Amino acid sequence: MEKSLRIKGAESVLNLEPNSSIAIGYHALFGSHDDLMLLEIDEKLLPDILHERVALRGQPDEDSVLCTPSKTYAIKFVGNSNSPFLIPPSGQFPLCENPQDFDGEVHGFAPVIKVAPGNMELVEKWTFMEDVEKNKARLYSWDDLVGRVQASDEELRNGLWALSAVEIDGFWRIVDEKYMDMILRMLLHNSVLNDWSLDALQEDDVVSVLVSDGFPEKLASHCLHVYGSKVDGDVGRSCVWRLDESRRIPGGMQISFDMLEGEVLTEKLGVETWVYSFSVSSLPLTPAERFNMLFRERSKWEWKDLQPYIRDLKVPGLSSEGLLLKYTRRSQPTLDADPPLEFQISLWNGRLVPTNQDAKIPFSMAGKFPMPFTSA
Amino acid sequence: MQIQVKCSCGAENCREWVVVELQGTVELNPSCSQTHLQNLQIGQLCRLSSSSQESYTFTVGYHELTGSRVTLKKPLLVLKKVKGFMDVDESDDNKGDLPSSKVELDVIGIIRHKILFKTRPKALISSKLIQEHVAVLWFAHVNARKKEGWL
Repeated sequence: MEKSLRIKGAESVLNLEPNSSIAIGYHALFGSHDDLMLLEIDEKLLPDILHERVALRGQPDEDSVLCTPSKTYAIKFVGNSNSPFLIPPSGQFPLCENPQDFDGEVHGFAPVIKVAPGNMELVEKWTFMEDVEKNKARLYSWDDLVGRVQASDEELRNGLWALSAVEIDGFWRIVDEKYMDMILRMLLHNSVLNDWSLDALQEDDVVSVLVSDGFPEKLASHCLHVYGSKVDGDVGRSCVWRLDESRRIPGGMQISFDMLEGEVLTEKLGVETWVYSFSVSSLPLTPAERFNMLFRERSKWEWKDLQPYIRDLKVPGLSSEGLLLKYTRRSQPTLDADPPLEFQISLWNGRLVPTNQDAKIPFSMAGKFPMPFTSA
Repeated sequence: MQIQVKCSCGAENCREWVVVELQGTVELNPSCSQTHLQNLQIGQLCRLSSSSQESYTFTVGYHELTGSRVTLKKPLLVLKKVKGFMDVDESDDNKGDLPSSKVELDVIGIIRHKILFKTRPKALISSKLIQEHVAVLWFAHVNARKKEGWL
C-alpha cells in the first residue's frame, strides 16, 4: 500500500484531476535555500534569458542591473507576506526514500523545497554613459567596459559611438579631437585633389591615400565612421561613405552661439529669431559715446545682451557696475511681463537726467536723438 | 563585474515549478513532538469537480482553505546561484563583498501558475475541544492581520 504512494512534484499539482487530491508536505531538503531566487520577468524577455543573452552587471558598491543585449533593468526585491510554497518538478532535488507521515490514500506527494520570502522584479532603466568618460587614466577593453558600465551591449556600443571612441589593439580609446580634425582636413584635401565626391567616398581609396599620408589605417577608417555615414549599395567589396553634413564640423571646433557675443544681436519677431550683425569693434571707445551708440541701437537692453558690448570698457576708478550706474538706469519690471535685468539710458551730453519713470517712453530726449535703429 | 545568467535546462524545455500560496503562515502545532519540518505533511490539496474555474481546497490540520488556480501575468524564473559564495545580490541588499571567483546564475525552472488561497480558513468540526482551540488561534491570527491592515 505504502509503495503506491508515488512521489511527484510540481507536475502532479499542475495536472491534478478533478475530484482527486494530493498531499503537500515539506521536502526532505526543505530549508531557506538562499541560493534560490525568483525573478519576475516579462514574457518578451524570456527568449533572451533562455538563450543566455542576459547578465547581471555592476561593481560591488553598486546596485546590480540586469542587461539584455539592448536594454538595462534595475533589480528590485519585492517582499511577500503570504506563504508561497515552492514546489519543484520531480527529480530536480533528490528525495529521501522513506517519507514519513504520509496519508496512504493520496495519489501523490508534492514536496515544498522553500517558502519564498518574495521575488525580484525588473524596472527598466535609462543608462547614463558618464561612467565611460570617467577615469581616463587607464584603458579599457570591451570586456572591462561590460563589467564596469551598467548598460546593455547595445547601449554601451551606442555610448561609445557617441563619444567617437575607437577600439585599437583591443582597447577602446577616444581620439584627440585635434588629431581627428587633422585627418578630416587631409581627407577633404584629398577629395579635392582626387576629385572624389563627398557623397560617395570609396573607403578603400580614402583609407589607402590617408595611410600614404602617414595616418594609421585604423584611424583613417575611423574618420569615415565619425564624420560620415555608410551609403547602401556597396560597390564591389569597398564600402561607400557619404560625409555627414551634421558632423562635418571638424572635431576640434566646439560651436556655440556664445562665440558670437559682441558680434551679433538677435531679435524675436513672432516665432522667428533674426540675427543681425552688430559688432563691438565698430563702436566708440569712450564710455559716453559707447552707451550713446548702444542705446541708439536699442532703447532697452537685457544684461546678458549688453554685457559683451561693455565688458571691454575700462575707466580708471570705475567698475562696470559703476559705469552702469553712471550711464544707465534700471527699469522696473512691468506687471504683464516680468523682464529680467534691464537697463535704460537717460543721457544728455554725458550727464544723467532723470526720466519720467511713469511714462513708458524709454528715451526722455527722443526729440534730440534719432529714433532707435530697431524701430526703423 | 558581470554575472552571466545561464540556462542549464536548455532553451525550450525549462521545467515548470508550481507555487501553492497561502495568505498567512503555517505553524507547527505546539503539541507536535516533531522539531524538524523536513518530510512533514502540511496538508491535502484537493481539486474540486466544479467545471468553470479550477477550484481547490487545501486542508491544513483542522482548517480548510478554498482557492483557485491563477496564471501569473508575468512568469517567475527560478534562479540558482552556482559556485555560490553567499551574499551576491541577495534580496534588497546588493552590497555584499563579492568573492573573486566567478558566480553564475542558473535558470532551473519557471513558474507560470500558482494555486492561491486567499480566503479565511473554515474550521472543520471534529471534536469540541479541538474546535475551540483552533478558533482561539484563528482569531488571534485575524487580529494580528487586522492590525497590519489586511482584513
